[in-house]
Formats: sequence, C-alpha cells, structure tokens
Amino acid sequence: MKMEITERPDGLVAIALDGRLDTPGVESIEPQLTAQTVPRGARALVDLNSVEFVGSLAIRMFITLARALAKKQGALVLHSPQPLVRELFETVSLERIIPVHPDAAAAAAAAVATRPA
Amino acid sequence: MDQPGSRLFAVQFSGTLPAFDAAFAQLRRALGEARIANTPRFKIELAFEEVVANIVRHAAPPDGGVADIRVVLDERDGALVLTFDDNGAPFDPRARPDPTPPRSLDEARIGGLGIMMVRRTTTMDYVRTTDGHNRLIVTIESASDFESASPNARASD
Repeated sequence: MKMEITERPDGLVAIALDGRLDTPGVESIEPQLTAQTVPRGARALVDLNSVEFVGSLAIRMFITLARALAKKQGALVLHSPQPLVRELFETVSLERIIPVHPDAAAAAAAAVATRPA
Repeated sequence: MDQPGSRLFAVQFSGTLPAFDAAFAQLRRALGEARIANTPRFKIELAFEEVVANIVRHAAPPDGGVADIRVVLDERDGALVLTFDDNGAPFDPRARPDPTPPRSLDEARIGGLGIMMVRRTTTMDYVRTTDGHNRLIVTIESASDFESASPNARASD
C-alpha cells in the first residue's frame, strides 16, 4: 500500500492512496496517516482513485480518523472511489457520516466549507 | 465439505495473521489465473478478508490455541461458492444483527460491519458439523460476470 501526503496551497492536506485497503494495507498506513493529520487538525482529502479493494478495517480506520479530526476542528473528505468501493461505502451507509465526492475539486470545496470560523 | 463442481482454489492454514496474509495472497493469485471478473472477484476477496479475519481474531478453539482454517472455492452451476471450515468456537454469522445505520460520527458503531458487508453482497449458509466445526458457505451468483476460466488454472485440492 502506497501513500503520498502533500500540502496544498489552500491549506488542505491531500492524501493519495494506491493499492489495497485490506488488513495488511490498513496496518501499513494507519499510524503514519494518523500522525500526519490528527495532531494538527488537518482538513484532509483522501484520493481513493487507485484503491482497488477496501475491507471493514479500512471503514473503521476512516471513521476513527474522521472522529479524531473533528475533535481538532479538522475534517476528512474522501473522493474518487472506484465503483465497487463506492458501492461498498453505500452498503454500510458511510456517506451519512463521512463525505464522499466523485472528484478532487468537489472534495476540496467540501473540505474548505468545514473551515472553522 | 467437498461437493461436485470445478475446484478453483483450496488452502488450509492456522488462524494467525501472517498465515492469513499468505493465504489471501494465494487466493488472489488463483483468482487472477482463473480470470474471475472484477465484481465477483471483489466479493470473493471481501468474503475471504472478513470471514477469515473474524475467525483469526475471535474464534479460538474451546481447548485454546489458534483455529485451523480451510477454505475452498468452487464453481458450481454458474455460481462461485466459497466454503470456510474452522474448528473455533461456534459462530453463526447470519445470527448477528446488522449494525444500525449511523446518523452521526459519534454514533457510528465499528463492530459488525465486515459480516454485514458480506451478508449484503453474497448468500450465506451455515452449519455446525458433527465433528464440531463451523462451516460457512458463501455463494456468489455470478454466471453473467464469469469470464472464461482457464482449465489449467484450476488448483488441485
């Protein structure tokens, strides 16, 4: 599982994931993902375009991360999931609690809208 | 647990995370060699991930230690059938209620999502065998999604 984290000029943190979010995939990225976003309350955009598989451990990771970011006035926004991944998100109603957008631009707009007053 | 049909994959391993990871890698190779189409492949991998992870984490045998797990994948009457057999504590995943759909982040429950995802994407049957094993049969109706399988890609048992 590959992960690339970059700072955007608008203050958002872009996180590109590439690979499989199965048990070893989640275990390989979760500590770094948490460490680089939660302490500073990042508004994080996670690009799922190159993620071909997600399991329940990945859903748990996203929920845990979103909760932790919300407590720090940050936010988690997911975008560009592949069709089967998006269907799985719908199966567990993930979009009720974590925004999932079709592309990066829509995700960025949603993340900016969460900016604290 | 063997029934008529084309055997695509079979593996037996101990219920530890390293053995789970190795078995999952073998399954993925077999699915690639058998040229299973994307949608049924995703469902097979999801079922394997969630069911085996659940056994590894929660199904220690009554006498202690780790569970012994056997998984086979057959093509039967146009469907793909995954059979999970383990000697862990009795557990019928069909009896577990689905988590309530969350209305907020704070309210969201994490437990039970994996089994719910498998239940909603496949058909599940369960029996407790006479020799004290859990046997979970997961069927993926996928005739229209099946690409032509390579005969020499079928794994022997």
